[in-house]
Amino acid sequence: MLGLKATMTIIDNSGALIAECVNVLKSKSTHGMARVGDEIVVVIQQARPIPATALASTTALKVRRGDVRRAVVVRTKKEDRRPDGRFIRFDDNAAVLINNKKELLATRINGAVSADLRLRGWAKIASIAPKVV
Amino acid sequence: MNPLQKNIRATSTHIARSFTRHFASKADAEVAKPYPFSKNAIILPSSPEPLPPSLLKGTAIMAHVKNTLPPPAAKELLSTLFHPSHPSALRPGSIISLTLAHAPTNFAGVLTGVRHRGPDTSFVLRNVVQRTGVEMRFFVGSPEIKDIKVLTRAGEKGTKRMRRAKLTYLRDDASKMNAISASVRKAV
Repeated sequence: MLGLKATMTIIDNSGALIAECVNVLKSKSTHGMARVGDEIVVVIQQARPIPATALASTTALKVRRGDVRRAVVVRTKKEDRRPDGRFIRFDDNAAVLINNKKELLATRINGAVSADLRLRGWAKIASIAPKVV
Repeated sequence: MNPLQKNIRATSTHIARSFTRHFASKADAEVAKPYPFSKNAIILPSSPEPLPPSLLKGTAIMAHVKNTLPPPAAKELLSTLFHPSHPSALRPGSIISLTLAHAPTNFAGVLTGVRHRGPDTSFVLRNVVQRTGVEMRFFVGSPEIKDIKVLTRAGEKGTKRMRRAKLTYLRDDASKMNAISASVRKAV
């Protein structure tokens, strides 16, 4: 249940570390709160320093602190319901960065993601993740 | 048409309708076996057991629901493993491994608490997956649960008895959870 001002870790290798939610897209049914599989707009609060090779290149992905980007929520601390009545809760909130065309910006994901991603149309992210719970 | 015949037809259809039974599950429907001595014999499904008059008056309706609502596999679990006071009931702190129908197909973890609500009984398993704590709440009556394997029982010989019914303190205790998840990985 991530709304405005919610912080989450970015678990891909794009370079961003922590992001803060600024807007939840498609929020008619979710009352402005994002759950697993929802697209949100985030501001990057902490990012890894960009290596010199990436700085020099024009095509490399450069994610800096203060960037406004889109992300997909992959883990929530608030329990989420599965169709059979099961609930799943993680110990933290996590997301991965995407672009306007709903494609992943990074190449790898580290950490577990929720299996609800497949149910909500993000099978691509679920397939890259090392562990789907 | 002979009016007497008309009455007979009406009553026979009425009887047939009263005999139609809505089976609680597919398993119950398959129990109705064909008549072995003739292929053409028409076998009406047996009528359900008549409800006792006290139940129709309104006594002990929830007890009746508790007995009839869950499927037999779930009833077995509810009366032994997830019963509040059965001698072989699972105590919090036990390590359990589940086989499920949908993703994730296997989930193992420490039992952090059982919520006893009759047919709606549920339990929470906690584990550390890829350095993140994950808690899942499962319902005992769910057909999703294919198999429950008890890896360690808390309170039995050699294992510690937990002094709480709900082990929510494990959420803040990383060292204990790391030890538990290591033993879960070894046991599975």
